[in-house]
Amino acid sequence: MEFLLESILNLVGFLVGLSIGVISFIGFRNTGSPTLFRLTIAFISISLGFFVIWTGYMVEDFIIKSGSIEKWIQTLGIVIQTIGYFFIAFSHSIKSFFPKSSYFRSVGIFPLFLVSSVQLEHVFRSISFILLAYGAIETMLSYFENRNRGTIWVSMGLGLLALGEFLGWYSFVFPESIMYPISMIIKIAGLISLFIPVSRVPLKKIKFDEDLG
Amino acid sequence: MAEYRTHMKIIGDILSTTRDDLQDEDGATITYLIRKANISHSRISSILKTLVSQGLLEKVDNQSSNKYKISQSGREFLQAYNTFTNFADNFGLSI
Repeated sequence: MEFLLESILNLVGFLVGLSIGVISFIGFRNTGSPTLFRLTIAFISISLGFFVIWTGYMVEDFIIKSGSIEKWIQTLGIVIQTIGYFFIAFSHSIKSFFPKSSYFRSVGIFPLFLVSSVQLEHVFRSISFILLAYGAIETMLSYFENRNRGTIWVSMGLGLLALGEFLGWYSFVFPESIMYPISMIIKIAGLISLFIPVSRVPLKKIKFDEDLG
Repeated sequence: MAEYRTHMKIIGDILSTTRDDLQDEDGATITYLIRKANISHSRISSILKTLVSQGLLEKVDNQSSNKYKISQSGREFLQAYNTFTNFADNFGLSI
């Protein structure tokens, strides 16, 4: 059950991240916008992170057959995803926050003190949670300004991913409980929610012009 | 409080004016663009120069004054700009 959910989650994460990353890249090539460049890095990183973990599971299941994924592969995938989440949060912080306030930097360090004695994987899960929660709140605040319904889906998606990361991180307290599978289901729902507004982007109307990059 | 506009947003406003809000068929004068895009003369001059060099605007030399018209590339750029503005809006960001 857990293996199946992990495979679905990581495959969905890879595909959704890749789709949004490619659309952002097309946007960057057409407009030269730095915001779209940061979104490209963010979602390609997220996609790559999910892909690394998915590959780890596939290699374990079909080649190594040891019964559990190599811990370093899982950690590597989570670190790459965290870089992606950082760029989402960073895009918002440039818009409204950074460098005027020290709040972001202080809450960013906080989880390191909380989990300093546990594995690196949990450190990065907790950082991901902070970054995703921050991104979800900032996106929701943007909704109150622009009233764009797509913003609600993205905010909800980031919020669900944050909740999933939190439960995934917290599950190390109760390792054999249902908490970890629930965290994966919540993250899959979050990824689908992220993809809904992006799927409505009318890319067919865009004529890609090499000279405009 | 005045809304902060990114460089990209100002370019979008200038191109939109030259596409949708022209004074006449010859194009828009700098004075007209300054008023419509709400931007200073010194800043719009450098932006117009860049847009003409990139082929997004066409400069129409006139006896009385220079006028600017949107080119086909400019229309395509504006279409992409509008699409990806909505895309970035979904993430609560501006391009």
